[in-house]
Amino acid sequence: MLEEEKKARPYKVVNPPHVHIGLDKNELMLKTFLLMSIIAYASVMVMGLQALFHILVALGTVLVVYNSVTAYQRWKGVKPTYDSPGSPLVAGMIVGLAMPLESPYLVTVVVAFMTMFVFKYIQGKYLDHKYLNPVATSKSIVLLALYGVATLNVFEGALQGGMLFHPHHYQHNMMGGFADMMGFFESAFVDTIPFFGIEISATQAHFFWQPHGWIGSGMGIVVLVVGSIAVYWLRYKWRIVVSTLGTMTILAIVAALVWQNGDISTADMITMRIAFHVFSGSILFMAFFMATEPQSTPMPEFSQFLFGVGLAVLTFVFQLNGFLGGSIIALVIMNMTTPLLDRIVIKKPYGHRVKSVVD
Amino acid sequence: MARKKKKIDEERTHRKFKEKGGFELDLRMKREAITDPFTEVPPAEEMTVFLRQHVGPEAKPLIQEGDFVEYGEKIGGIEEDEEWGVPVHSPVNGIVKEIKMMEHPVSGDEERIVVIETEDEETKPYYDPLDPKDVTKDELLERIKEAGIVGLGGAICPTNVKLSYAKDKVSHLIINAKESDPNIACDVRLISERAEEMIDGIKLMAYIIGADNIVFATRTQEGELPEFENLLKREKNIDIVRVRPNYSIGYGRLLITEILGKEIPQDTHSYDMGALVHNVGTAYAVYKAIREGEPLVSRGITYYSKDIGGRNLWVRIGTPVKHIMDFVDAPAIDFERVALGSIMMGPAISDPSIPITKADSGVTGFTEKEPHPYEDKTWCIRCGYCNEVCPMDLYPQLIMKAEKKGDKKRLRQLNTDVCIDCGLCSFVCPARINYRPILSRAKSEM
Ligand code: SF4
Ligand code: SF4
Repeated sequence: MLEEEKKARPYKVVNPPHVHIGLDKNELMLKTFLLMSIIAYASVMVMGLQALFHILVALGTVLVVYNSVTAYQRWKGVKPTYDSPGSPLVAGMIVGLAMPLESPYLVTVVVAFMTMFVFKYIQGKYLDHKYLNPVATSKSIVLLALYGVATLNVFEGALQGGMLFHPHHYQHNMMGGFADMMGFFESAFVDTIPFFGIEISATQAHFFWQPHGWIGSGMGIVVLVVGSIAVYWLRYKWRIVVSTLGTMTILAIVAALVWQNGDISTADMITMRIAFHVFSGSILFMAFFMATEPQSTPMPEFSQFLFGVGLAVLTFVFQLNGFLGGSIIALVIMNMTTPLLDRIVIKKPYGHRVKSVVD
Repeated sequence: MARKKKKIDEERTHRKFKEKGGFELDLRMKREAITDPFTEVPPAEEMTVFLRQHVGPEAKPLIQEGDFVEYGEKIGGIEEDEEWGVPVHSPVNGIVKEIKMMEHPVSGDEERIVVIETEDEETKPYYDPLDPKDVTKDELLERIKEAGIVGLGGAICPTNVKLSYAKDKVSHLIINAKESDPNIACDVRLISERAEEMIDGIKLMAYIIGADNIVFATRTQEGELPEFENLLKREKNIDIVRVRPNYSIGYGRLLITEILGKEIPQDTHSYDMGALVHNVGTAYAVYKAIREGEPLVSRGITYYSKDIGGRNLWVRIGTPVKHIMDFVDAPAIDFERVALGSIMMGPAISDPSIPITKADSGVTGFTEKEPHPYEDKTWCIRCGYCNEVCPMDLYPQLIMKAEKKGDKKRLRQLNTDVCIDCGLCSFVCPARINYRPILSRAKSEM
């Protein structure tokens, strides 16, 4: 630029504030991905290579969709929807961690594809924001499709094949027979922690070493710690996490008191119930990393509490009826209430909480 | 003035209160400037003085091209019935070159300026000093009005109007020395360099309004300004409140709430609730006008750019920004963006010939290397950060949605008019959405 031109150049006029905190969407996504990678690492330690493959399959699928759509958008001269793979990677990681270990890889591919293409790209393009949680909705649709296929006898065993939730859970009585179910879980899936040789119970497994269920639940305690760090550091909608987990805990205690077992003390029953109802991956991982998905959850503070309570109650009802992966359907149902929750209990701003002194 | 000491709640006065605003600002800019003493900037060859530098009507020119004007002489006057009018004064001895139009940095409209060719740098009081013992309170208020004093903390309301409304109504005068803007340190310099005069100005204001209690709100820590603190110890009815250095707008109403525990209703003036907030710079200007007879023709500002750092400057009002930049050896052409006043709330200027007004507490230059805060704007992800930080407890994101839909009812329901333009919602938005235009549209739609 010539010196004269430079002199004549007016300054760029930008509305204040003239500085930004520096945390933008890409960085937020990257940090979320890094935190979830810790959970993934812990889960792979507990569940083995199968868990790793699920995660890689999910990540690979979303990246293929992301790169294809981005290339198409560039070819069409349209600004790419995502200027970095941060958000797709987070979605892929959530898909991976939200899959049950026993699910076929093909189902993971389908869920990841639907998440990325239908519920991230298409939903984002045609609606003013994403009303439904992409991963939860994709998973719910696949689940319902499999359920339909199974009940119509088109393909027997579709649910077992899909493994998005386990039909055999129906056999368990989650009310009075809860302790038996935990006993079955212990005998079928829990053994000792390798390397340390420590023998653990089903209750302890939910906290520390759970080789069954959602991949994201491998080490419940790690999810709790990493999730809490994410909530604090990245300022997720913490009210949803607190109200979901808080309500689940209360319901677990109530259930323990209502459906007692003569052989087990009340305290043990409560611990067992909390371990199961709060520390299962479909609750703990979902509460931190899916239920806080910002676009599909309410903005007003009190509504966030209501959202969490509703999510927990619905999930609990599903659980009691043997539908143990039902939390994702509960989440989709609660997502649908978000536009309504956005309109109610708007807190009064400063100056409106006190009575005017003007006549 | 009633000297009887009414101690306000000890706990409230001396605790470090928690401010609104969930994110801490980077205060490095400020830290550098805090220890830099004021340097007087000589006037430019041509000074350009806006005839409107406050919230209120423009002053009428009292001069014509070719007139000689003295330092401190009134060049813009107001009508008798213009309660919110504020006169403007010449910052130099010189010749009026022309009266022309220029883009006003705050309104963005073309407004009248007086261009004065500087003859010399000499300064001498234009009015006779007043002794409060010999004159009435109304005469003191008249002097404040005549001296063109406005709130120097950013509100730029006529000080005489604010004081006269509050007269005999308030028990607490709160002096806002908080200076929470990340780029400004001129108030803290004023406290350390001109403490005696400033304290006198504070006492004069308290005397005029009849406030028994004075609260001095500062973000400095105990022992940081020892001379000032020693001076303050002698003042039995001035309490010091230490506040955290975070940016939270320094908005007067919130400060009253934090210090006195009273929320001011939206349609109520703070003086109706027994408290009045004034900026520390305004107190100094009141001192100058009453004790020395000097109208408001100069003020302290902080210049900041990355290469130069923070510099505190004493400048005459009407000094072109370019002249200030040349003075600090930061050529105007090196910058891509220049902001006046607070970088959180102050306007950006399009041209370095725009002058400093009474409203401006700083000049900040940004080069091309420094990122444009809203260049990579994307769509809202509904993270809720904007809600979390809003000091007024608004829902900026929901306001944005309602504004987009033109839903006036919803905008009213969301109390959009409560917004104070603090900028925190834009500052934290990970989608880099600038709320200023959205909020102004929303407010005007209401
Ligand atoms: S901070 Fe930005 S991205 Fe987050 S909700 Fe507010 S406007 Fe949307
Ligand atoms: S809505 Fe207004 S008051 Fe609230 S943070 Fe944004 S600019 Fe500040």
